[in-house]
Amino acid sequence: MWGDVDDRRTPSLTVRPLKSGRGVRAAGEIGLATHTIWERVLEQAVREGEAVYQLELSEVTFVDVAGAGALAAAAGRLGEGRRFVVRRPPSALCRVLETFWPGLSTIEVSMS
Amino acid sequence: MSAAAEHMDVLPGPFVHPALFYRDEREYLDATVPFVREGLAAGEAVAVAVPGERLRLVRDALGADADTVRLLDMREAGRNPGRIIPGVLRAFADTVASGRRVRIIGEPVWAGRSAAEYPACVQHEALINAAFRDRAVTILCPYDAARLPAYVLADAYATHPTVIPAGPRPRSYDPDAAVARYNEPLPLVADAMTFPFAAESLPTARHAASDEGRRLGLTGVTLEDLALATAELTTNSVLHGGGSGVLRVWAEGGHVLCEVRDGGRMTDPLAGRRPASRDQRGGRGLLMVHLIADLVRVHTGDDGTTIRCWFSR
Repeated sequence: MWGDVDDRRTPSLTVRPLKSGRGVRAAGEIGLATHTIWERVLEQAVREGEAVYQLELSEVTFVDVAGAGALAAAAGRLGEGRRFVVRRPPSALCRVLETFWPGLSTIEVSMS
Repeated sequence: MSAAAEHMDVLPGPFVHPALFYRDEREYLDATVPFVREGLAAGEAVAVAVPGERLRLVRDALGADADTVRLLDMREAGRNPGRIIPGVLRAFADTVASGRRVRIIGEPVWAGRSAAEYPACVQHEALINAAFRDRAVTILCPYDAARLPAYVLADAYATHPTVIPAGPRPRSYDPDAAVARYNEPLPLVADAMTFPFAAESLPTARHAASDEGRRLGLTGVTLEDLALATAELTTNSVLHGGGSGVLRVWAEGGHVLCEVRDGGRMTDPLAGRRPASRDQRGGRGLLMVHLIADLVRVHTGDDGTTIRCWFSR
């Protein structure tokens, strides 16, 4: 799927569907080398139309400001009544979201 | 330039930016308290961002009026001068409905600002003029004339179109020249952890900064901030600074410093000092660095750009 990564590059971002089918589990880091993959993942998430779409990020070690911005932009494209649940993201992601998109109702951060 | 444009230059615009030279508490309160009350009486939105001890004086003197004024300790909110425009001044002014005038007391320069901080203070004061041009905003900047050295007051003449009290003044208002004068070289530091990077080594550069920051005593959120700042600055070098650069990390006194040098030139002096709109794609990296670091210094020129940030340890 879209998460398959060019192995010559470090770091990588690998993305696999969750067993529930309502989201993905990502592993690696989100930075300049992986923005394209991340944005494709988010575009797909917006297209799929689930009311609640899980982004399991416990194995993501870093998200830069542009990566957080892509998430906020995608969340802004979710229609009425839909949201992302972002599970166990790296703390820098929360910090950037709180700084630039406080109170974004379409992203729910869950630490469980 | 057309005659009309020349004419515009000499008319006072809607933006008013006086410096206030005060010599003691009495003079401070005699100027700032009526300034706040005038604003409130005119229905303006009023904020006071000054060092904590002065903030308490103003708050106590305002009594019940203080409840309708936004009060901020500039020692915290404006520790890094580069965050004052986006994080304090525009953060307040941009929440006010258009048509309503904004009035702010902002005191970014106080006795005790370090030699490293001071050039960033002057550049900040100068850039306020560009950041608020044509906006219905008044920003009064108090200067402690009894304790600040003469060159600081001279710089205030260069960065403020008017100075209170009025009187004979040097004809020296020239904010662009002040920005250029304090675009000071940041000499190479010996014995710093040094890591040349390019696109493929961005993550390794970030890890190297984190490891060194941890070794030098950073923990928790501050260590994460160092990693984030490193990522943003090195990524900017790859995208806008010629594709590569050199990262350095070292400690000085109570701070861990992180510096990124590249071959690019920053042409926009307000880069990183404009608040981002919610819908804006990208362009938040340097702003984030300004918001999280205790100090950011920039030197830019034909030979390249150096950005140095300080994190308390």
